[in-house]
Amino acid sequence: MMAGPGEHQVSDLICVGIVTSAVGVKGEVRIKTFTDDPMAFGNYGPVQDEAGARIFEINGLRIAKKGIVARLSGVKDRDEAEALCGTELFVARALLPKAEEDEFYHADLIGMRVNNMDGEPIGQVSALYDFGAGDLLEIDHKATGKRVLIPFTLESVPTIDVETGCVVIDPPDGTFPEPKSS
Amino acid sequence: MARSVSKGPFVDGYLLKKADAARASGRRDVIKIWSRRSTIIPQFVGLTFGVYNGRKHIPVLVSEDMVGHKFGEFSPTRTYYGHGSDKKVKRK
Repeated sequence: MMAGPGEHQVSDLICVGIVTSAVGVKGEVRIKTFTDDPMAFGNYGPVQDEAGARIFEINGLRIAKKGIVARLSGVKDRDEAEALCGTELFVARALLPKAEEDEFYHADLIGMRVNNMDGEPIGQVSALYDFGAGDLLEIDHKATGKRVLIPFTLESVPTIDVETGCVVIDPPDGTFPEPKSS
Repeated sequence: MARSVSKGPFVDGYLLKKADAARASGRRDVIKIWSRRSTIIPQFVGLTFGVYNGRKHIPVLVSEDMVGHKFGEFSPTRTYYGHGSDKKVKRK
């Protein structure tokens, strides 16, 4: 089902890595992983390319310089491994383990609508960061076109509804810049 | 070489004034600062500072664990934020 304008839809596929180069002559590939722990790349079962045309079982995995080295099913020699360079590898969102209570996947939050306490739309979630002082929610502010960071705390983000794709925020005073009057 | 203990931690003077004013007002706002070199002291715990990274102010909610560190440590100046396709977050 396609999402309408302003509607939030959680992507079915999540990119967990990209093939960067071939390793050796036996068909192994070096993968730059996008998972929190690089070795978690192999935790979600077979991976596939974006179109779903090729599905790869992971037959071996080891940590290496600049990522991990994997042995993928159907890749038998260096030529086939080199042909995969640049291929993004995906897993189905449904394969990720269920989040605990009051715990949210970045993939679920990104793209959600953001409303203020009065229910007025402010923008949408564009990213989440952690610079060492707690998680931060980055919001694309509709009125100014700027990206604004707010602390991801119960005080600043009191309501998150994944079903409707809506986040309600109560940001600290002076967080959002005033829109420029023409 | 570490800083001499006898000098005490370094904090820019204007920061203490701003923190005191924020506490006195009781409002929940971001205290914009440019002093990345200042040490986080126990008086700052619980306040939210917007620490400038050369481009914008990054909100830093000060907790007890951060005492003794510098503000600049929590406001990176480079744009690599890492990846996290299976990353989870929890509200505090």
